[in-house]
Amino acid sequence: MLSIDRLSLRIGAAEILRDVSFDIGAGEVFGLVGESGSGKSMTALAAMGLLPRGAAPSGRVAFEGRQILAAKERAMCALRGREIGMIFQEPMTALNPLKTIGDQVAETLLVHGAAGRFEARRVAEARLDRVGLGAVGAERFPHELSGGQRQRVCIALAVALRPKLLIADEPTTALDVTTQAQILDLLKGLVDEDGMALWLITHDLAVVADVADHVAVMRDGALVEAGRTEAVFRAPKAAYTRKLMADSTHVPDRKAGAQSAPILEVSGAVRDYPAGRAGLFGPRKSFRAVDGVSLTVRAGESVGLVGESGCGKSTLTRAILGLDALQGGEIRLDGERIAAPAVPPPLRAKMQVVFQDPFGSFNPRHKVARLVAEPFHLTPVPDIGARVAEALEAVGLAPGDAEKYIHEFSGGQRQRIAIARAIVIRPKLVVLDEAVSALDVSIRARILDLLAELQARFGLSYLFISHDLSVVRAVTDRVLVMQAGRIVEEGATEQVFGAPAHAYTRALIAAAPRIPEGWLAA
Amino acid sequence: MARYFLTRLGSLALSLIVASLVIFAVIEVIPGDPASFMLGLNAAPETVAALRAELGLDGSLTARYLSWVGGLFVGDFGTSYTYRVPVAELVGARLWVSLPLTLYALLLSTLIAIPVGVIAAARRGGPADYGIMGATQLGIAIPNFWFAMLLVLVFAISLRWFSAGGFPGWEAGLWPGIKALTLPAVALALPQASILARVMRSSLIETLGQDYIRTARAKGLSQRQAIVRHALRNALIPVMTIIGLQFSFLLAGAIIIENVFFLPGLGRLIFQGITQRDLVVVESVVMLLVFAVILVTFLVDIAYAAIDPRLRRGGGAR
Repeated sequence: MLSIDRLSLRIGAAEILRDVSFDIGAGEVFGLVGESGSGKSMTALAAMGLLPRGAAPSGRVAFEGRQILAAKERAMCALRGREIGMIFQEPMTALNPLKTIGDQVAETLLVHGAAGRFEARRVAEARLDRVGLGAVGAERFPHELSGGQRQRVCIALAVALRPKLLIADEPTTALDVTTQAQILDLLKGLVDEDGMALWLITHDLAVVADVADHVAVMRDGALVEAGRTEAVFRAPKAAYTRKLMADSTHVPDRKAGAQSAPILEVSGAVRDYPAGRAGLFGPRKSFRAVDGVSLTVRAGESVGLVGESGCGKSTLTRAILGLDALQGGEIRLDGERIAAPAVPPPLRAKMQVVFQDPFGSFNPRHKVARLVAEPFHLTPVPDIGARVAEALEAVGLAPGDAEKYIHEFSGGQRQRIAIARAIVIRPKLVVLDEAVSALDVSIRARILDLLAELQARFGLSYLFISHDLSVVRAVTDRVLVMQAGRIVEEGATEQVFGAPAHAYTRALIAAAPRIPEGWLAA
Repeated sequence: MARYFLTRLGSLALSLIVASLVIFAVIEVIPGDPASFMLGLNAAPETVAALRAELGLDGSLTARYLSWVGGLFVGDFGTSYTYRVPVAELVGARLWVSLPLTLYALLLSTLIAIPVGVIAAARRGGPADYGIMGATQLGIAIPNFWFAMLLVLVFAISLRWFSAGGFPGWEAGLWPGIKALTLPAVALALPQASILARVMRSSLIETLGQDYIRTARAKGLSQRQAIVRHALRNALIPVMTIIGLQFSFLLAGAIIIENVFFLPGLGRLIFQGITQRDLVVVESVVMLLVFAVILVTFLVDIAYAAIDPRLRRGGGAR
């Protein structure tokens, strides 16, 4: 149905795609896997005729025999939405904030002249019902919906005219595991019931293993391997595919080295948020984000904290870091009480943090030396230069990198610099707040190795906060599962993952996509 | 929506109270007393005393503030010392020139700027965009009094389509009034339209880069449909802010243009008030302008809510 033959693409001097060829048959699920920047999305945009300005494609892209690259814009407008639908990664921004979701779904029908206004509304409501939003109502605006609900709206508007092919570009990457599982189920259902073909683009091998009939692996703009999904997983031919698979399930070499002395003790922590008034003069309501949470991290131990977005993980992290005051309970670091917002610098220096976004967490106008030396304002030392050089060396960078600016580094290198900044004052505890979630699998594997190495070398304790269960399982000694502000389960990592006691933990583990046992045996 | 409206209204009232206190305080802190300031150095003590009595300066600070604000509420702005007529009358007559002139200029500027900005954004990087960007650059750079004189030379003196200045009053009829205000309005609108067109362009370009435009294109909308149905309304939000600011600027900032065209507007009144040290006039006109600015800000806020559903429902979830 869709046939791509030796597609190449240049934007300016940069070569984006090289001789990409594959076919997608009717009713088939095709998975395109690759790391960020490998050219997956550009391939999809080429098939939609939506390449950015200045892109120069060559080769052939044909949909049911019709040439797409040579097609007139008018013909493409008729094709998009009617025969090929597309959904994107970021559901939070993919919908117009000023229009109701019903209008946005109905618009697909209206622009193609497929229905009158009244009929379009009726179909829109039916489609919203089909994607599981029947109870939400077509009159709602996007900002009133969660990320998963918004992605459902995107799917509803993409499939409103029952296209023959749906292109889904990282449709679940921005979503929680349970939401991801629901969205993937929905997509599979649409394929099974409506006979639609699905082209799934993802960096997550486990997602593809779960869903796709065929799979292709892309690297630096070229396909390195393609075939039936199970065959590719059982016997990957390309070295890159093997590396990708090894990295995605990588377990760093580390010893559980917990000593008995507790570093961080949280007992009965409560954190409320004001949530506006009920009515103009009504009583103030509040929202309890963290509800009686207790946890302990011992010296040299790695503790995982998992849960879906909105469960209170980030709020708890802010309280631990002394950024927000608690409404109840207390937090002790190395025996001393943390009383936000006035945490004494020597106490604060015992605890550092690494955040998710390696791009937003550095001042672009400072050199690396200054960025890494930032924590020294807490406890000044005489030989800052030597300490910075040591920290950079510890994270695998050269001491000479201290004189560079942050834009000269890749995402993985930036996260190394963030780690160097965290360890430079030799803290006892490092809080890793989704620290590897934005990284590609191969980079993630190296960073996890680095964290294990640093833990052994400096005797660090880690509080590892993540929604990614496989990572938490690979690197922590103990794990806590958080739901709606409460810890619902706690225990040794292998025990919790191997025999989950709480229903919520079981649901989380079941929802996480996995490469089937046996496929990886070879 | 009602809640949003009420909080905006509350902030409007609060701003007005604060503004009136500040204006009153500034007039009060002028060294010496207002009466001797208004009469100059050589005034006889008796004259100063008489003016003090007339201005009610003998009362306490609180009493004077309350009587001033109380007067404002019922339209009593005091009596001008130099003109010897009630300030309300002076202001009223001039407002009938300044307000229509401002609205006229704003209408012209908006009607020109929005389509021009949209065309530039839609053809970004093309010849039309470069032409428009060049022209708006020029429009901002040209001093408007010079442009006004050029308009007079061409349309009043050579072509004789309009008169070179003056205002016949609305008694002479609607059309002569509009005709007299046309050249000044064009002169005022040119730089405003240039600024607004650039804001419209950059706002629309930014909006066109948003994910929901990509979603719309993937649905099968053409570039033009995506602009009209999705981008325009989103892009108008910053443009409205600028329109609000321009209204307040034009209402009192037209002094030079009013002088070029001999229009009896508010700008000239306040200028004369300052040069003649007529504090009663200055105080009241400034308060009136502050009121206009705050009112427009309020209206812009309400317009935001009309456009953006995220503001209507009490600021979203939590």
